[in-house]
Amino acid sequence: MSASPTPVAIVGAGLSRFGRQPGVSGREMALQAIRSALDDAGLTWADVDAAFGGSDGSGLADTLVSDLGLTGIPFTNVKNGCATGGSALASAVNAIRSGSADVALAVGFDKHPRGAFDPRPEEWGLPVGYGEAGLMVTTQFFAIKIARYMDRYGITASTLAKVAAKAYRNGARNENAWRREAISEEVIATADMVNDPLTRYMFCSPGEGGAAIIVASEFAASRLAARPVRLLAVAARTRSFGSFEVFSPAIQGLDEPSSVSAAAARAAFDEAGVGPDDVDVAQLQDTESGAEIMHMAECGFCDHGDQEKWIAGGETEIGGRLPVNTDGGCLANGEPIGASGLRQVHEVVTQLRGEGGARQVPGSPRLGFTHVYGAPGISACTVLARE
Amino acid sequence: MSTVELSRSGQVWGHTVQRFAPKSPPYVPPADGFVPFAVGYVELAEGVRVEAVLDCVDFDELTGAEVSLVATSPVPRFATANAGGAR
Repeated sequence: MSASPTPVAIVGAGLSRFGRQPGVSGREMALQAIRSALDDAGLTWADVDAAFGGSDGSGLADTLVSDLGLTGIPFTNVKNGCATGGSALASAVNAIRSGSADVALAVGFDKHPRGAFDPRPEEWGLPVGYGEAGLMVTTQFFAIKIARYMDRYGITASTLAKVAAKAYRNGARNENAWRREAISEEVIATADMVNDPLTRYMFCSPGEGGAAIIVASEFAASRLAARPVRLLAVAARTRSFGSFEVFSPAIQGLDEPSSVSAAAARAAFDEAGVGPDDVDVAQLQDTESGAEIMHMAECGFCDHGDQEKWIAGGETEIGGRLPVNTDGGCLANGEPIGASGLRQVHEVVTQLRGEGGARQVPGSPRLGFTHVYGAPGISACTVLARE
Repeated sequence: MSTVELSRSGQVWGHTVQRFAPKSPPYVPPADGFVPFAVGYVELAEGVRVEAVLDCVDFDELTGAEVSLVATSPVPRFATANAGGAR
């Protein structure tokens, strides 16, 4: 790892609306997000030197130049599942660090229909029988992982419900969220069971939205009227031996499974030169409530099992010791796969600028963290700091 | 590369219950219709945890249960002793 890489700043952040938008394509949401990010930075498309982005199932990002302008810049398509946004951002940051660009764009978007995500076993290198037997169901993985975790570390079902209730409550404070109605812990806990111990309201749904982040060299940032946020680190990782992931016909070894999230978080903190205890606000992948709980420990914010008392004590609420998923996370915003990672970065930028409105973390947060995790064992993390 | 013969019995490492019928295709429900079933990982002494459908009498008996192999197709299927697995 190189010591103190070239400083990079986030100079613009933009979102489209999230949630169902009949008649609006994924590409249109990407364009809205990019234009919003450019406006935020006080830039135009002509100022962008390089772009990276993608969607999981809603088109190629590089075709957006037909709407943005044919400026001739390199525009690289990224397709990395839930880490698409994080990978695009890492590439944009590296373009700045290498000196090949002064201003670079990362964009992610998706428009998934209801009940989307129809993986076919053949596409995952799995036998047809795996699907016939009813194992080609992503939710099973999350349930097996949290069920075992609860057993091992004393996390209770009511804590699962508390995490989901927080997400919908935060979503209600976020005018751009999809789900803006608070749902009580009781309703969440007693809803239809999908895969034990996770009920319907504990899972995020395939959704719609676009997110864009513009990064710049510190020199370029210093000439802008924007309100830059320093990007201290971005790290992306893939799984190592012994990990436990979606659609794993077997888990190798008898040790506790390795965690790609732990590896990515550690790399990000090392690069940033700060630790989890320094973080004032965090966005952690919450595919379902249990994921947020486990990722708190995997990313280093607490010991395994401590989540039970952290969450009982409101420590992850806005106003707690470590506010988590202040914009409502994937539970309240839905999961447009390509966009979620950059939505998290947008939220941390918003919080560090003190522009969170009804959901603003009090006390002028200085340091923020984002984490995405996805199949088949990928994770990307960032550490961001107020100027 | 060499072939390792795995044990036919082991311990449930983790599991959940599939409460709703998975989407068909690819899922092929039983002839008499879908009923909730357990799915999880069975830890075998050779150093691997194998994903399997788990037969049991009561889902609550599965945590840490000893189970044995009753079928290998289309995926491995293990059963508790109560559900017809070897004792």
